[in-house]
Amino acid sequence: MKIMTCPLNGPRPVSEFHYWGEVRPMPNPATASDDAWADYVFNRNGAPGLKKEWWCHTPSNTWFIAERDTEKDVVLKTYFYEGDQ
Amino acid sequence: MPANALAVSPVADIATLPDPSAQKAAVAKLGIADQSLTPRHGCKGPGAAAWLESLGLPIPPQPNSWLPVDGGGLIARLGFTEFLVEGPATLIARLANTPRSAGVYPVLRQDVALLLGGAKLDELLRQTCNVNFRPLDLATRPVVLTSMVGVGVTVIPELRNGQPAVRIWGDGSYGHYLWETLLDIAVELGGGAVAPHSFN
Repeated sequence: MKIMTCPLNGPRPVSEFHYWGEVRPMPNPATASDDAWADYVFNRNGAPGLKKEWWCHTPSNTWFIAERDTEKDVVLKTYFYEGDQ
Repeated sequence: MPANALAVSPVADIATLPDPSAQKAAVAKLGIADQSLTPRHGCKGPGAAAWLESLGLPIPPQPNSWLPVDGGGLIARLGFTEFLVEGPATLIARLANTPRSAGVYPVLRQDVALLLGGAKLDELLRQTCNVNFRPLDLATRPVVLTSMVGVGVTVIPELRNGQPAVRIWGDGSYGHYLWETLLDIAVELGGGAVAPHSFN
């Protein structure tokens, strides 16, 4: 069983979590070029590597960030989102 | 029937009780009782703690913990800013009828609420849930949010007459599935359906 650690609820089986995609800062739609905006809307980075991702502990609806090596499928750390940095 | 309780339990049509002697035998091994009609109130938001405190309720300081409420009942803190209150009908009616402050949002609580307890409880939990309840310190009044047979549930472990027990709240639309699945396991372990007062 794979275990993921929720920052609030502690270690739980990964079946209690949903993955919601990579953290992707949104460009300012008022100032971004059409190409930059289209890249944000349509393209995703599928290359394996170290990613920051949104995850949710579904029984408690707790949203948090997981830093995960998608090549090795190893979760390095999890923490609460603290705004765009 | 208090006006602020559910009109009908989500498991009303299947939670039938055997005769009292069978209930007495079942509760020693593993009893399962329906408590869905207990009045309850849910709210969440950044202003929820202050609003509940202004109404005289104690606020559990830690996320995922609970405190008893005067007159019977409890207040559970689910995560950081969400609360579940169960208690006397007058208290729940007051919460429902008092205008909410800014930053306080209602949470509809049409839960299936169950009470399970008995010597074989740990065996049922091992089959249905991925959380090990045994090392939890009941003196800290923990609240566990996890999934049980695939259903998201809120669980409060406690002792009743020296026997381990858990109170469980889950989405009422899963009531039939949750009740039937847990009752099947309870019967396999020598227990069965009982009335809530059987645990007193």
